[in-house]
Amino acid sequence: MPAKDAAAHRAANEGTPDLVLSRTFNAPRSLVFQAWTDPARVAQWWGPRGFTNPVCELDVRPGGAMRIHMRGPDGTVYPMSGTYEEIVEPERIVFVGSALDGTGRPLFAVRHTVTFADHGATTTLTVTAHVLSATPEGAPHLRGAEAGWTQQLERLDTYLAAA
Amino acid sequence: MSTDPLSTTFAALADPTRRAILARLIAGEASVTELARPFDITMPAVSKHLKVLERAGLIARGREAQWRPCRLDAGPLKDVADWVQPYRRFWTESFDRLDDYLREVQRKEQQHAGKGRRRTPRGKRGNA
Repeated sequence: MPAKDAAAHRAANEGTPDLVLSRTFNAPRSLVFQAWTDPARVAQWWGPRGFTNPVCELDVRPGGAMRIHMRGPDGTVYPMSGTYEEIVEPERIVFVGSALDGTGRPLFAVRHTVTFADHGATTTLTVTAHVLSATPEGAPHLRGAEAGWTQQLERLDTYLAAA
Repeated sequence: MSTDPLSTTFAALADPTRRAILARLIAGEASVTELARPFDITMPAVSKHLKVLERAGLIARGREAQWRPCRLDAGPLKDVADWVQPYRRFWTESFDRLDDYLREVQRKEQQHAGKGRRRTPRGKRGNA
């Protein structure tokens, strides 16, 4: 899209977020920030339950790239890529993340603004998401990821019932 | 990027006035004048918002020359909901795991610090 449209689009999106999620964690801000910026730490929690992240490469600086391959419980790999736009340690991270299809084509692009509010022993984390572009194929992709762990839970349930 | 219908819907929904217009239309169809009433904006500004909503397929407008009633088309809204719900789920689950991870890391650090204190003579290696 033309630069002017892109700017207007961005301004419009910044006015009203599409999704805001907030949670307070029992951990000091420095540790929560590290959990978002150290690739080895990010790989431990990124994605739904039952997922692992065999690839987690984060170049945490403005313009730096992120590359994460999430692997679902059924073995399906969900690659994503992104670019960091803003890093204000230990307060704020802005990045645009895209999920990719099998051919590396982006299924959607979402700008995430992550803020870390310091309350001493606890930290309130807020993720604000603005959808920049989305394709209908992105929904099944997300649903596929969701189905992955649901199936896993169902399998576990069956296993426990049989045991 | 903005040519994709779903992206167009997201862009249309990004504005609070347009969201309010859609919320009003849930109650039933309305004229442009009726839709403009609650807002402190000009009629041309309302018309502009309606055009954006119409382009995104979120509203349909009647053919009557004088008052062209607007009504809601929920189809694209469902597409957006279908899209956002799993995305929300993704983050909720990730937050759960981050919570577990932070607890685990701190538990290990505490254990480590505890052992360190017992093994290290006072004042030598400190509590780093």
